[in-house]
Amino acid sequence: MRAKRFTILLLSLILIIGAVAPVMAQSKIATIIYTQELDNLNPMYTNMWFAGITVDFYLSPAWNFDGDLNPNPVLVTEIPSGDNGGINEDGTVITLTLRDDIVWSDGAPITSADFLFTYEMIMSPDNLPNSRYPYDAVVTGVEAPDERTVVVSFDAPFAPWITTIFTFVLPEHVLRPVFEAERTLDNAAWNRGPTVGSGPFTWVEWESGSHLLFTRNENYFNSLALLDGIFIRFVPDDAAQVAALINGDGDLGTFISYSDLAQLEAAGVEYELVASGYNEAWFFNINPETAHPAMLDVNVRRALQLAFDRWKITETLLLGGTYPAASYWEGTIYANPDVSAPPYDPEEAARLLDEAGWVLNEATGVREKDGVALELRYLTPPRAVRMDTQEVVRQDFAELGIRIVTENPSFDVFWNSLPNGGPIAAGQFDLAQWSQTSSFPDPNTSVFLCAEIPTEDSPEGGNWTGYCNPEVDALFQLQAQTVDFDERVAIIHQISALMAEDAVWTGVWYDPDVWAVSGRMVGVELNGATPYWNANMWDIE
Amino acid sequence: MTKYIIRRLLQSIPLLLIVSFIIFILLQASGDPLATLGGRTPPRAEDKERLRQALGLNDPVLVQYVYWLIGNDWAAIDVTGDGQPDPLEMRHPREIRYGVLRGDFGASLVTRQPAMQMIAEKIPNTLLLMVTAEIVIITVSLGLGMYSALRRYTVMDNVLTGLSFIVYSMPIFWLALMLMYTFAVRLSWFPTVGMFDPAVGRTPAQVAWHMVLPVSTIAMISVAAYSRYIRSEMIEVINSDYIRTARAKGLSERRVISVHALKNVSLLLVTLIGLDIPFFFAGAVVTETIFAWPGTGQLFIISLGRSDFPVLMGLLMLISVAVVVFQILTDITYTWLDPRIRYT
Repeated sequence: MRAKRFTILLLSLILIIGAVAPVMAQSKIATIIYTQELDNLNPMYTNMWFAGITVDFYLSPAWNFDGDLNPNPVLVTEIPSGDNGGINEDGTVITLTLRDDIVWSDGAPITSADFLFTYEMIMSPDNLPNSRYPYDAVVTGVEAPDERTVVVSFDAPFAPWITTIFTFVLPEHVLRPVFEAERTLDNAAWNRGPTVGSGPFTWVEWESGSHLLFTRNENYFNSLALLDGIFIRFVPDDAAQVAALINGDGDLGTFISYSDLAQLEAAGVEYELVASGYNEAWFFNINPETAHPAMLDVNVRRALQLAFDRWKITETLLLGGTYPAASYWEGTIYANPDVSAPPYDPEEAARLLDEAGWVLNEATGVREKDGVALELRYLTPPRAVRMDTQEVVRQDFAELGIRIVTENPSFDVFWNSLPNGGPIAAGQFDLAQWSQTSSFPDPNTSVFLCAEIPTEDSPEGGNWTGYCNPEVDALFQLQAQTVDFDERVAIIHQISALMAEDAVWTGVWYDPDVWAVSGRMVGVELNGATPYWNANMWDIE
Repeated sequence: MTKYIIRRLLQSIPLLLIVSFIIFILLQASGDPLATLGGRTPPRAEDKERLRQALGLNDPVLVQYVYWLIGNDWAAIDVTGDGQPDPLEMRHPREIRYGVLRGDFGASLVTRQPAMQMIAEKIPNTLLLMVTAEIVIITVSLGLGMYSALRRYTVMDNVLTGLSFIVYSMPIFWLALMLMYTFAVRLSWFPTVGMFDPAVGRTPAQVAWHMVLPVSTIAMISVAAYSRYIRSEMIEVINSDYIRTARAKGLSERRVISVHALKNVSLLLVTLIGLDIPFFFAGAVVTETIFAWPGTGQLFIISLGRSDFPVLMGLLMLISVAVVVFQILTDITYTWLDPRIRYT
């Protein structure tokens, strides 16, 4: 009797499981896994990297970057240059000529009025965009002399225009009525449901915490997408992301840790290291008001660079997947080939420290000078590989009589502002480690400018190292105004050399984006700036 | 009884105010919502300052709390910068808040949606997961607990006891990942994450299929604990005089257990469920995060990572209110189950 009951129960279970088991459908939908959920689909209102790259699915920019990071015209007929008359002689006026076949997904034409509207919305005091850069900083005006021409004027030549202006264009015919009715775009329904777009796909639904779904835009003005749709699944846990990729529950994923690559490869999932301008680095605090006295001595900073075996990190913790970065622009076309990563040379490090007067106290095992111990606060946000790095550094430094105190405040505490006591902004560190990039693929950055050092009057400044070298400062200003590519490369090389001489920045490892791509995906050509630039050519085998 | 309920409800008002104040202060100290704005690098200084001003984050913490509680539409605020307070109509709509006492929990600093709307969107998913898990927990732990109690010190009882301790001592994140790697990655029996397969769509069958692993994760640890409570409670009950009397009257063992013993054991269950239900709204923070289940637990973790105070305050206050309400309901249920219990 019991055996009969058990059999019936078992059969029922099998039937239930069979009924609910997934049925393979034939639609070609690529699933991308994001470890962060997007905050907004209106690019005006987001700083998120994931949101930034997703825009290319549903909104076309004036241009994006191809697989080799060359500018690729999308809404314009060609990339403005001096030769085609798109950039005037002194580099202060850029003229965009729009294609005459570009349309929104609802069939309405995309015109210069949409560009003008986008500029107006970014600058409107009634809207609260996350950033108005560069329109509030260097743009003096945007004009639309006719339906196909957009003219952007700058107060001075502005070299980083290619990565900063019209990276998205908003549909005026959809959003102008909303702005007029609500006095703002801040709460527009379009921000979470951009029903009208201009990319190869159009938005279908966004279920918060779960997924985003896009379907093919049948009115796309370039080749129609080969895929039926894109499904973006939000999976906040890194280990779950890897499991989902292995199990075939995802076709693309990024921020994969090097230690997971072998497992993914074994499951037939390919991976790509994509240069994104990011480099994991040490930032020394050399602000005289908050720095440890040792850090103000360039020879001590050089000694610290030489005392740390970074190859141990890249070869063991990162399994040889990367290498120590030589300059802030490592992995970009702006990297200075004459600047190399400082070698691991503990003997030379010891000599430099002795010479600088930091002598070993045999009793404590720590170097001292004028009664001050060489004990340094080493901060990183809490990521396993960073904390492991801290331990390697602790061992390397201990051999030379340098003691470190490690701290790992969470990201929002780590990056807290000066008035809120953020440890980095307040200079409560001697050595800090994080990953940073320029306006990639443009080399511009403001994090080493003297004017960006946080002070009580300007508490939100972004130069947390306190580095201020007038020569470097002038060169940074100059490169931002140098439109000629070769000249600009030469200036960045000069800056790299000077920063290496000042020993203010130390690359720990070159930090490309690690993407996983399932074996069934074809046509995916990722880059570190606009990875979905050719999403219309993606397909599933 | 009515007086008792009214008294408890009135007592809960100052309690909730104190709780809200403490949580608000603690959250303010936890991080800066504008630190990175979710980006890989911090935003520009000018933008941070502009946003801080517009979102009222420059106000003193106590002022922010008062505005959160009762709104700022009554306050004299100078928006034009001429040193004089300006009328309400001169303020931008986004700067006017009405406060939680008037049902306005504010807008998320991250998504700019109303905080309560964001929470309300997640509650059905969380309840689906948690109620299913609770049903599994009660059913299985009742079965195992009673089985162990009625066959105590047998091999099976010892095996169940040992297993309970092993499962109970497992960290939930580890258990979740082990279930995922075993049953989804290695055996491919179940999906790894999400609520449905996009190629199939969101059908009831798909959702049920995707619930198996997260429900199992939540249930396993609780079953390990609850079955132990039920076992010990059951042993105590079946050794009591009235059970002996019931047996002496010649009632069948099944009737003795299912009618007389179970009703008394249910008092313990009511206590446990009463404690559990308020936290249904909190979701299963770890499980929802690992299995990418779009519930309030996942929302809490994401909001905490971005220091999204309005959403965090909304979630925590929802749980606080639920704790108060369900404790009162639990007390009322006690009186129904056990006529000896009276509240005055």
